[in-house]
Amino acid sequence: MTTRIPTGRDYSALVQEDRVHSAIFTDEQIFQDEMERIFHTTWLFALHESEIPNAGDFKRLQIGRYPVIATRDEQGEIHLLINRCRHRGAQVCESSHGNTRRFQCWYHGWTYDTRGDLVGLTGPEAYDKDFKCDAHGLTRIPRVESYRGFVFASVAREGMSLSDYLGSTKPYIDIMVDASPIGELQVKPGVVNRTRYRGNWKQVGMDGYHPHYVHMSVFKIFSKRESTTGSAVGALHLEDPFADVSKSRTRGFPHGHACLDFREQRRPHADASIEELRRSEEGARYVDDMISAYGEERARDLIAWHGDPHLGLFPNLQLIHDHVRVVIPISPGETEVLMYPVFLKGVGPSINEKRLRAHEAFYGPAAAGSPDDAEIFERTQRGLLADADPWVQLGRGIHREEVDEDGSVASCISDEITQRAQMQEWKKLMTRG
Amino acid sequence: MAQQIVKAMPEVIHQGIVDTQTQQRLERFLALEAALMDAHEYDRWLALWDSDEVLYWVPCNSDEQDPSTGIAIIYDDRTRLLERIMRLKDKTAHAYRPLAKLVRSVSGVLPLSVDGDEMEVAASFVLGETRVGQQNLWLGKTLYRLVDTANGFRIRSKKVMLLNNDDAMPNLTFLV
Ligand code: FES
Ligand SMILES: [Fe+2]
Repeated sequence: MTTRIPTGRDYSALVQEDRVHSAIFTDEQIFQDEMERIFHTTWLFALHESEIPNAGDFKRLQIGRYPVIATRDEQGEIHLLINRCRHRGAQVCESSHGNTRRFQCWYHGWTYDTRGDLVGLTGPEAYDKDFKCDAHGLTRIPRVESYRGFVFASVAREGMSLSDYLGSTKPYIDIMVDASPIGELQVKPGVVNRTRYRGNWKQVGMDGYHPHYVHMSVFKIFSKRESTTGSAVGALHLEDPFADVSKSRTRGFPHGHACLDFREQRRPHADASIEELRRSEEGARYVDDMISAYGEERARDLIAWHGDPHLGLFPNLQLIHDHVRVVIPISPGETEVLMYPVFLKGVGPSINEKRLRAHEAFYGPAAAGSPDDAEIFERTQRGLLADADPWVQLGRGIHREEVDEDGSVASCISDEITQRAQMQEWKKLMTRG
Repeated sequence: MAQQIVKAMPEVIHQGIVDTQTQQRLERFLALEAALMDAHEYDRWLALWDSDEVLYWVPCNSDEQDPSTGIAIIYDDRTRLLERIMRLKDKTAHAYRPLAKLVRSVSGVLPLSVDGDEMEVAASFVLGETRVGQQNLWLGKTLYRLVDTANGFRIRSKKVMLLNNDDAMPNLTFLV
C-alpha cells in the first residue's frame, strides 16, 4: 500500500543502548522515513468503537500520512477509508464527525456509500465500458482489528496480529475498561482537548523522572489540599508516587510499549477511595456494582487504580488517567495531541462528571499540567536543534532493570526504561530492510 | 453568542437598557479588567470578582458544550480560580515564565438584560500575545454577569467563547 523509499542512512548508528542522537528529533528526512517505516508499517490506534455507535456514523482521523474517514456501515461493521476521491483526489468528507448515508465529492459529484463503494458516477455514459465502479471505491486501510473497543489500523497488508502486538499490555488496557462496572467505555468524538506544541512527537513519552520538576507548581498546590483521593494524579496525599522508594515501577514492553505502573503503589489506597465514594449515593452504588461485577478483591484493585493504566502503546496511543491520548506528528518540530476523556458506562452521571473535572484540572491548554509539559517539549526542541554534543542521555537505571514474568522490563519509577523501550522499537522499525 | 445580540429585543439595541452613564462605567470597567489581565495583575483582577460563588468558564469544543457531559478549557468555581491564580503567580510554573506580553482590545460592550442590581453584558475582544519569539492572535466573545455595587461592578460569572475552541491550540498561559 505504501512504497518504501530505501534510505542510504545508517539509522542504527543514531540509537545506542543508553543514548540517541538528537537528529532523530529534528531531521526532516528522518521524519519522512518515520512516516513510512513506522506509521505505515505498524499498528496505530484509530478510534474507539463507541465514537461511531450507529449505522452511518463517521469520524475523520489521521493514520500516518493519510486522512481517513472511519465509518460504520449498515451491517454495523467499521471501515477505515482514505478520504481521497478516486477521480482526481479531492477529500470527500470535511466534517469532523456526524452521520450520513453517502459521501459526495463536490468536485465532480462522484458518490460513495459508508462502505466506501462508488455508488454514483456522474455522467457514466462517457466512461469506457471497461470502467469498473467496484474498482474505484475509496481506498481501505487493509487491516483493522480491535481490543475491548479500541480500534487499531495497519496500513501494511501483512504483519503480526493486533493481539500479538499488544502482548502483555492487554491487562493494563483492561484497567481502564474495567473501571466501568459493565466493562464498557464511551468516547465522544466531540469531547476532546486538541493541543499543539512546537516539538517532536517522540517527546510525548512515559516519563517518571520529570514530574517533580516540570509539575512542581502542581505538587505545591496539592500539598495545600486536604484530600486528593480520586484526583487526576492519584492519591498524592498519602505518599509521593514518583519517589524511587515508592512501589511505583517504570516498565518497558516488547514493540515499544511502556508504562508507569502505579498498581502496587495505589493498592493500599483502596480503602480511602472506597470510603470517599461511599459518601455519595452514586458513589456507593458504583462500589457495590464493581464488587458484584468483579468480586471484592478485583473491585478493590480497580477502584484503587482509578481506571488509570498509564500505558503508552507505540507509536501513537496513551491511556493516562481518565483519558485516551492520540499523538499526531505534523513535522519534526510540530505535534498535535488529542486528549479524549473517557466516560464509564453503567455509572451515575456524577461519577463521570467528577472525572471530567479531574481531567480538565490537569489536562488542556489552560490547565495545571499540560502547559508545563508542552513548554518543556518546546524548550527541548529548541535545544536539540543545536547539535553540539548531540547525544541525548537515556541511560538512567540501566543497571537495575529486572525482567518480569510477563516479559516486561521493570525498574524504579524514575528510570528511563520507557524511553529505551520506545527507542529500541524505533531503531528496529527504522532499520528493517 | 452573536445569536444573543442578533435575537436581542429591539429596546436592547435601540433605546438601550441602561443609561449612558452606566454604559460608560461598564466600558471603563471592562477596559480596566483588560488592562489588569494584560499586565498580569492577578490579585487586582481577582478583586474585581464578587465575593460569593463565581463561575469562570471557557468552553471547549463548542460555545455551548455542557460541562456535565463534556470538558471545558477552564471551568473554575472560587476554589479552582484561587488555585489558578496561585499557579499563575508561581515562578515554578514554567509555562508562564517568561510571562507573555499581551495587548487586547475590548469592544461591542452591550448590556443584554438587567435584573435589579445584576446585569448580563456581552463584549468581544481581540488579543495579541507574544512570547519566546512567537506571536499568537486570540479572538473571542465574552458574556458577563455583573453586579453593580457601591464599590463599582463585580463579576459573578464570565463565559469566554474563544473563536478557536474547536481547534488545536497552543498553551493558553494568561487570563482571557
Ligand atoms: S475529484 Fe472527486 S469527483 Fe472529481
Ligand atoms: Fe508531564
